[in-house]
Amino acid sequence: MRRLLLLAVLPLITALGACSSRQALFVVLPNPGGGSGAVTVSDNGGQSVVVDQPYGAAEVRSGQVAAAISSQDQVQKVFGSALAAQPILPTHFRLYFESDSEVLTPASAQEYKKVFDDIKRRPVYQVEVIGHTDTFASKDYNQQLSLKRADAIKERLVHDGLDPKSIAVAGRGELDLAVPTPNGVHEPRNRRVEITVR
Amino acid sequence: MHSIAIAWRRAAGVMLAAAVMMLVNSHAWADGPQIAQVKTVSGDAVIVRNGARLAAKVGDPVFEKDTIETGDDGAIGLTFTDNTVMSTGPDSEIALEQYRFDSSNFNGAMLADMRKGTVAMVSGDIARSTPGAMRVRTNTAMLGVRGTRFVIQVEGSR
Repeated sequence: MRRLLLLAVLPLITALGACSSRQALFVVLPNPGGGSGAVTVSDNGGQSVVVDQPYGAAEVRSGQVAAAISSQDQVQKVFGSALAAQPILPTHFRLYFESDSEVLTPASAQEYKKVFDDIKRRPVYQVEVIGHTDTFASKDYNQQLSLKRADAIKERLVHDGLDPKSIAVAGRGELDLAVPTPNGVHEPRNRRVEITVR
Repeated sequence: MHSIAIAWRRAAGVMLAAAVMMLVNSHAWADGPQIAQVKTVSGDAVIVRNGARLAAKVGDPVFEKDTIETGDDGAIGLTFTDNTVMSTGPDSEIALEQYRFDSSNFNGAMLADMRKGTVAMVSGDIARSTPGAMRVRTNTAMLGVRGTRFVIQVEGSR
């Protein structure tokens, strides 16, 4: 008799559990280009849910994680303030140089203006300029050339009014080729600086 | 003459070391390198560092072990050195438990402890280079990040 009662009550308890208040909500947002990334949500009991769709969600109630579905409306309502406080996202630029030189190619001289404008629109900024070379000439020479390229861009940015303390430079020589080549090869796409603006 | 030169060099070395120590100490008693920068602030937002509560300002550095807190009307946005972007809404608390990042090979790890409130994140190089290396913990769950944009709400323990 007691067991029967328990059997009758059990679904009720489960139903109550499902109605219990939400302890945590996780929502994956769409990427600007379409699609989304993915997250895995694991509760302390070892259950886990993979969320890999735009507005796909996971909720924790009574310590247990379960898949859920969110929406643009719910996200705006619950996370509107957090999203409004989101900083301007970091950006990445690549500028190319003439052979054996810290002079930009004509196309990259144009592109430089975009880099400058992107930095200027940020209330505060941190900029990293990493110089690179192709594999022509010696490793030591290229190490110095790559740093000269990075320094040249920093000097230009500072000349145009940006804060030198917020711009870090480094030279990687021929260590990180954009286009893999054997040693001793002229390759315009490897003669570059990589600029991160955040 | 020679020994005077050596003594002078030693003294210069000690002074240089002292200058470096002062530089480090000027960073408001934080250990380790800067891991993020405050980019946006509105309303009441503080950085808790070794027990001290510092009103957050745009441009402030953020360090490992700092805790970010916002009040009723507060919001704050940070960008990390691996290009992860994090912003919280009001009544939020998130502790930056662990962060390391090597910009030469993009390896690193990040663990944030989300205690209450809301957070929006866009993952960066740590999550991209090492799946599972970026994690957010809540009192009831652990989030492993494969990328890229996601939000979390944690109900405060009431």
